[in-house]
Amino acid sequence: MSARTPTWRSLAEHEGDPAFIARVAAEFPGLARVLAEGPDRRQVLKLMGASLALGLGGCDPGDPKGRIIPGIKAPPGIVPGIENEYATASVLDGYATGIRVRHQAGRPMQVVGNPAHPASLGAVDPIAQARILSLYDPDRSHGVSHGNQQAGWASFREAFERRRTAIDQRKGDGLRILTGTVTSPTLVAQLAALQGRYPLMRWHQCQAVSRDAVRLGARLAYGRPVEAVYRLDRADVILAIDSDLLSTAPGHLRHARDVAGRRNPVAGPMSRVYAVESTPDLIGVMADHRFVAGPREIHQALTALAAAILRQGSPQPGAPAWLAAVAQDLAAHPGRALIHIGPQQPAEYHALVHALNEALGGRGRTFDLIEPVEAAPIDQATSLGDLIADMADGRIQDLLILGENPVFTAPPAFAEALKQVPFSVSLGVELDETAQATTWHLPEAHPLEAWSDARAYDGTVTILQPQVQPLFGAHSAHEVLALLAGDRAPDGYAIVRATWAKLSDDAWHGALSSGVVSGTAGRPVDPPLRSGATVLPAPPDRQITLLLRPDPYLWDGRFANSAWLQELPRPLTKLVWDNPLLVASALARRLGVGNGDLVKLSAGGATLTVPVWIQPGQAEDCVTAHRGWGRRQVGAVGKNAGFDFLALGDGPLSVEKAGGTYALATTEHHNPLDAAPDGVVRHGTLAGFTADRQFLQTPDPQASLYPPQPAGTMAWGMSIDLNACIGCNACVIACQAENNVPVVGKDEVLREREMHWLRIDRYFEGSVEAPRVLLQPMLCMHCEEAPCEVVCPVGATVHDAEGLNVMVYNRCVGTRFCSNNCPYKVRRFNYFAFARDEVRSIQARNQEVSVRARGVMEKCSFCIQRIAAARIDADKEDRAIRDGEVVTACQAACPTQAISFGNIRDQASAVARRKASPLAYALLGELNTKPRVTYEGRVRNANPAIVEPSA
Amino acid sequence: MAGVFEPSANLIAKAALLVFLEVLLAGLGWWFFAPRTDYASAVGWVLDQPVPFSHEHHVSGLGLDCRFCHTSVELSATAGMPATETCMTCHSQIWTSAKLLEPVRASFARHQPIVWNRVNALPDYVYFNHSIHIAKGVGCQSCHGNVGKMALTEKAQTFEMQFCVNCHRDPGPNLRPKEALFDTDWHRTAATPPPDALMAQYHIGGRGLTDCSICHR
Repeated sequence: MSARTPTWRSLAEHEGDPAFIARVAAEFPGLARVLAEGPDRRQVLKLMGASLALGLGGCDPGDPKGRIIPGIKAPPGIVPGIENEYATASVLDGYATGIRVRHQAGRPMQVVGNPAHPASLGAVDPIAQARILSLYDPDRSHGVSHGNQQAGWASFREAFERRRTAIDQRKGDGLRILTGTVTSPTLVAQLAALQGRYPLMRWHQCQAVSRDAVRLGARLAYGRPVEAVYRLDRADVILAIDSDLLSTAPGHLRHARDVAGRRNPVAGPMSRVYAVESTPDLIGVMADHRFVAGPREIHQALTALAAAILRQGSPQPGAPAWLAAVAQDLAAHPGRALIHIGPQQPAEYHALVHALNEALGGRGRTFDLIEPVEAAPIDQATSLGDLIADMADGRIQDLLILGENPVFTAPPAFAEALKQVPFSVSLGVELDETAQATTWHLPEAHPLEAWSDARAYDGTVTILQPQVQPLFGAHSAHEVLALLAGDRAPDGYAIVRATWAKLSDDAWHGALSSGVVSGTAGRPVDPPLRSGATVLPAPPDRQITLLLRPDPYLWDGRFANSAWLQELPRPLTKLVWDNPLLVASALARRLGVGNGDLVKLSAGGATLTVPVWIQPGQAEDCVTAHRGWGRRQVGAVGKNAGFDFLALGDGPLSVEKAGGTYALATTEHHNPLDAAPDGVVRHGTLAGFTADRQFLQTPDPQASLYPPQPAGTMAWGMSIDLNACIGCNACVIACQAENNVPVVGKDEVLREREMHWLRIDRYFEGSVEAPRVLLQPMLCMHCEEAPCEVVCPVGATVHDAEGLNVMVYNRCVGTRFCSNNCPYKVRRFNYFAFARDEVRSIQARNQEVSVRARGVMEKCSFCIQRIAAARIDADKEDRAIRDGEVVTACQAACPTQAISFGNIRDQASAVARRKASPLAYALLGELNTKPRVTYEGRVRNANPAIVEPSA
Repeated sequence: MAGVFEPSANLIAKAALLVFLEVLLAGLGWWFFAPRTDYASAVGWVLDQPVPFSHEHHVSGLGLDCRFCHTSVELSATAGMPATETCMTCHSQIWTSAKLLEPVRASFARHQPIVWNRVNALPDYVYFNHSIHIAKGVGCQSCHGNVGKMALTEKAQTFEMQFCVNCHRDPGPNLRPKEALFDTDWHRTAATPPPDALMAQYHIGGRGLTDCSICHR
C-alpha cells in the first residue's frame, strides 16, 4: 500500500476546501438546506396531506379487473414466461460488435453480449446496451415528411419516379449518395448495382468521427490499404500514444479483454503498459506509467523513438526524460512489443508507428495485417469536401443521405451548400438537423428492426436480423436503395439473403443463431513496408490545441436522445448531462477560472461561451471538447444538453475568462466513504508483490460481538479485480437495464439523487498535473453483518438463507436510516416517483424485477431474479446450481471479466478461487461488516528505470 | 340550587359511552375483518367471461388433462392460456354452430384474440412460478380448487400472503404423488405416502422457503 502519495477524489478535496468537505460528508446534503429554512405551517400541512395520500395509495389492492389475452395461434418457439435471445450486431461507424437481444414475451427488452463474436467475446458496451432505449424512443421519426409536412412512402416513390427520367438521361450525373463508413457486403453490392445503372453517379462517405489518419497512415506505410488487427494478449510491452485502444477503436471490447488478461500478477506474468496522452483516456487508467504530453511532446517522443528503435541511436536531446527507458523496454521485447497511436494523430505519425512495429518484429505476433474491413477505404475528408464543393456549384440535383447527420456533424458549409440541391433525401432514425434541412425525410428502420449485415474489426461478418417489425413504418437503407433501383416493394430479407445466396439454408440459419458467418474473417495480407515513410511533418505550433473527441457515450451526437447515456458518469470526470471544456489545472490557474466558470472561446471568427472543468492529467497546451452535445434538432431528452464545439471555426484558438458560472452535474464527490482513500483502493507495485505476495493484506479484523451467520451450503459472493477494471461503465448500464433503474435528470443529480445501483468510484493519486487514476466499482456489499439491517425500524432490509441482503420494498417506509448507516454508501432512495416519470418505455423494462415506488429505498440485489431463475431450474432437475450458472448483469457485460460471482462455499468455484488470491481484501474490513463483495488490489508493473515525480 | 343534570343524565352518559365504544369496536372489526372476507377477496365469485367456458364439462365430463390447454405449466412461470387455435382443434368439428361459441369462431376468423377476465391474480411484486410448484409436488387443486366441479370458473383461495406462507412453512401436508398432480379431486388416503416421505421424495428442504427473496424481487 502506498502511503507516500495522497489519494483524492475531487479537486476541491485535493485543495482541502473545508466547506466542500463538510457538505459532501453529510449523508443527505440536500437536507441541510431544507432544515436551515425551517418548516412553515403551510409546508407542514402540505407534507401531511401528501403522506396521507401516499399511505392510502399504498392500500390500493391494484386493478382487480385484469385481462388475459392469449394468442390466436401460438407462435412457434415462444412460451410466455420463458425468455428468448436472438443474435444480431450493434454497428457503430460501420464496424459491427456482436450482440444478443433478450426477449420477454416476444418483446426485445435488453441487449446482452454474444460470446461467439470475436469483437466482444460476450461483453457489451454502453452504446450497444442503450440501443434498446432508442428502439422504443417516442421521439423517433414517425413517418415520411416533405418540406417538414407529413407525407407517405407512396408520395415519395411518385416524386422519385418523376425525377427518374432526368436521372436516366443524365446517366446518374448529379445523383449523389452519402453514407458513413460502409462494411456491409449487401450495401456495397447494392451501390455497385446502382453504379452500373447510373455510371456517372457518385458515392461519398463521411463519418463524423474520422479515422482518415488510420487509413492514410496504413497506405503511407504499406502502399495499399490494409487493416491492422492487434493481438494484445501476446504483447508484453504496450506503448499507447494518445490511443483509443480500449475506448473507441473498432474491437475495443476485445482489446480490453486481451490486455486485462495480462494484468493480474496472480494469474500469470504481467504485461507493461505505457500511455502517452494529451487528455486522459481508458488506456491511461490501466497503464503502469502514464505520461502527459501535448502535441509537441508527442512529436518529440515519436522522433526520438524513431531514432532509438529504427536507427538504434541514442535519444535526441530535448526528448522527454522517460523516453530512453521506454524505448529500451520496447526494444528488449522483440516480437512481444506493440505501439498504438490514436486516430486523432496525423497520418504520418501512423505510418511511423507501423514502421516501428515492423522494426519491433510485431507482424504476425502482436498484430496482423488483413484486407481492409471497409468496402471502400477512401479519404473521407476529401470525399466530403468534393461533395460540398459540387453542391455549392449546383452540380448536384439529387442527393441521398443514408443514416448520417452531416448538417450537425460536418462543417457549416455543408448545410449552406445543401440548400442548392433541389431534391435531397435523408434517411434517419430520428428527426435530426439533416432531416429538417433536406427536402424529403424518410424514417429509417432502427438497427434492431431491419435486416442487414456488417463486418467486425477483424472482418467477421454478422447478419443483422430484425428483433421486431418496424414500429413506425420505417425502412432500412437496403430497402430504400432497392427502391431507387426500381424495386416497387423492396423486401429487406430478400435483399440480404441474396447477398448470401451461397450459404445453404442450414448455414444461413446457423449464422443467424450464432451471430457470425463462419470463415468470413479478413484475409491476411503480407505487403512489404515501404521505406521512407518515416518522415514526420513539423510539429504543430499552436499555443492551445483544441482536441475534439467523440463523447464516449453520445458519440457524434447520434445517441444524444438516450437518457441512459446522458446520465452515465463519464469515466474520468464523472460528469453527466453536459460537456464542459476540459482544461489543465495550470491553464485554469492562468485564466483564473475554476470548475463551472465560463470562458469565451474564439477560433476562426466564431466564438462560444462554455463552462470549464479542470481535468487532472490534462496536457497544459491542450483543451478537450467532446462532440455530440448541443444538438439543435433532437428529442426531449437531448434538448439543451451541452455545447456544440463544432460552431468554432478553424484557426488558432484563444481562451479567455468570460465571467459567470454554470451548474455542472458531476457525481465524483457523491457517496463518499468515511475512510482514508489510501486503504480503500489498495494498490502497490509488482516489485512489492514479488517480494511479499501478501503485501496488500492487513491483520484480520477483531472478533465480532455478533453471532456468526448460519452456514448453509449456498453463499453468494462476488470478487472484483481492480487490475482489470478500466472504468468503461458497461456494468453500470447493464445494471440499469436489468434492474429497471430509473434516470433522474440533471437537477436531481445536482442534488445527489442519482439512482445507479452500481457506480465506479474514481480516485486520483499524486499531483493534479499528472495523477494516477484508481477505479473501484461500488455496489451493495451484501455484508454478513449488515449495518443497514440493525437500524431498520420495520424490517424492510433483511438477510436470506443464502446470505443476500434483501430489500422488501413493501415494508419500506422511507426512514433512510439504512442509507445513513451504510459505510459503503450504496443505497438509493426514491425521492420522487422516478420510475413512473421515467422516459424508459414499459416495453424496455425487465418484467422479472419490481419497479420501485416513491419513498422506497433500493440497492443492488446481486441480480436476485437471475439467482431465482437458476435456483428454480436446478431444483426442477434436483441438482445443485452449477458454478457459472448465475451471471450477474454487470458481470456479463464487463469486457475485462473483472467481476466474478458465485457460491463462495464451493471451494472449486471461480469466485472462491478469486477470493483466495493474495491480493483479495474486504473494503473497510476493519468495520467487521464481513462484506460478501471483495476486491483484488491493484498492482502496477512499474519500470524501475523510470522515476516518477511524487506529489 | 337544583343540579344542572337530572339523575337520568348518568344513564344517558353511560349509554352514550357504551354506544361510542361499540361503534369504535365495530369500526375496528370492520377494518380488520372486511378485507378478509370472501366477499372482499372475491373467493367463490364468478366473473362474466366472453365464453361461458365450463371446466366441469371439459375436465370432469370429457377428461381433458389440464396441460392440454395450460401447456406451459411444467415449463414456465405462467401456466399459459390456450390460443384460439387450441379451442378450434375440437370446435371446428363439434358444436360448430353453437351460439355460445360464436366469440371463439369470430376470434379465429377475424384474427382478434379472445379477452378473458382474470380470475386468479397476484400482485405484481409476487413472482410466482407454476413450474417449480408442479415439479415439487404441489397439485393444481391446492391453489385453484376443484375446477372439475366449476361450471363457471371461480377463485378458490384468497391468495393472501398468509395462504402462501402457511404452505411454505410446512409444505409436506400439501404435497401429493406425481400421478395425482393434475387430479382435480384428489384426497389423501391411507395409501398416500406420509408428508415426510413426500418431502424427501421431492428433495424439499435446504432452501429458505420463507425468505422474502423466494417470492419477492
